[in-house]
Amino acid sequence: MDWNRRDTPDALVGRPQGRVDESNWSVFAAHLATAIADAGGRRFIIDLGGVDYMSSRGLRALSTALAAAKKTGVDMALAAPGPAMREILAISRYDKLFVVHASVDAALG
Amino acid sequence: MRVRFWGTRGSLPVAMRADTVRDKLVAGVLAASGRTFADRAEAAAFVDGELDFAVRGSYGGASSCVEIEAGDGAFIVCDLGSGLREFGLDAMRRAGGGHPRRYHIFLSHLHWDHIMGFPFFVPAFDPEATIVIHSGHPDAETALRRQQEEISFPVAFDWLRAKIEFVTLATDVPHVIGGVTVTLLEQYHSHKSYGYRFDAGGRSVVYSTDSEHRSDQMDTEERFEAFFAGADLVVCDTMYSLGDSVSLKQDWGHSSSLVAIDLCRMARARTLALFHHEPTYSDAQLQTIHAEAISYEALTRGEDAAVQVICAYDGLEVDV
Repeated sequence: MDWNRRDTPDALVGRPQGRVDESNWSVFAAHLATAIADAGGRRFIIDLGGVDYMSSRGLRALSTALAAAKKTGVDMALAAPGPAMREILAISRYDKLFVVHASVDAALG
Repeated sequence: MRVRFWGTRGSLPVAMRADTVRDKLVAGVLAASGRTFADRAEAAAFVDGELDFAVRGSYGGASSCVEIEAGDGAFIVCDLGSGLREFGLDAMRRAGGGHPRRYHIFLSHLHWDHIMGFPFFVPAFDPEATIVIHSGHPDAETALRRQQEEISFPVAFDWLRAKIEFVTLATDVPHVIGGVTVTLLEQYHSHKSYGYRFDAGGRSVVYSTDSEHRSDQMDTEERFEAFFAGADLVVCDTMYSLGDSVSLKQDWGHSSSLVAIDLCRMARARTLALFHHEPTYSDAQLQTIHAEAISYEALTRGEDAAVQVICAYDGLEVDV
């Protein structure tokens, strides 16, 4: 999994790329924690457009990050899930835990 | 090895209401519109072949009780939930045909839904029966005696006629019981719970219920992967959605099908049985959850071997 980050005045956009699974969930979790610490009042958008799939440890890293974001007042949301990730978010009911935007532009708007 | 599910619900037994039966009948009649059936066999073939399980059947409502046929012929039973009553009646029938009257019981933990069947276990009244209750908990006897005290039940534990023994099993060593190698794993649950792995004749079955896999302990899940390693069948607590298990129902001691699938995939287990169903879920909801679990397994399989996902129901038999 690769991780790219884009900073704007209003938001921090993290873009994981590839699979998030048992082999790399802890790296993913560390990126999420760093981004939340750096957000500093900005929104934190996770661009899922490059994620092939995410297994339960990646999902649990996401919900752990959401709890941390809420504690620090960071507005965290998901964006641009492809068909596989949309289905995984629905099956896991994470689409009820997170605000999910159809695109990054929609999330930023 | 053969595994029989006598009770598959979590927390509380449930019974089907009249309106639920009516809804199933209406769905079946509609599906049969315009069809004619020459005899009962043709009608049965239609029901079995063309109706969804949630319409033609039910996942059942008895609480946890799973029988494993293996080893030297003694009965092996995981948990004493309300499904134990049906098992006890069938065991008496089999004992009447010559089956040994020796029972090895393995308790995941002592919560009520996992022990409530014992006061109604007919073999406990059989003076020729020997019942050995194995547990990781040293207070198993206290729990079973307490639920038969007069304030809760009219028949005292001491009135039971079978020879009843309690054995506390350690988690760090394999135990050979009834010709089967049994291993325990401590799990996260209120007052702890224990998973059991049964190995015999080159086959293996894991019973892992009432086990929460917490988000802040993901780095310890390798011990479950090792416990499930290469198992032919893993019976797992999949009571909640992952989303519920990390939010509203965090720390309730239960898990999700997604975590169970991932653990089984990493362990290279062959088949996962979804188990300990939420009592408020209808048959239609459980069927949907089963279909979603199958989809998730396919979506996240990558290059790994497939894990067959089945959904346990009262009455299901699985040969491994």
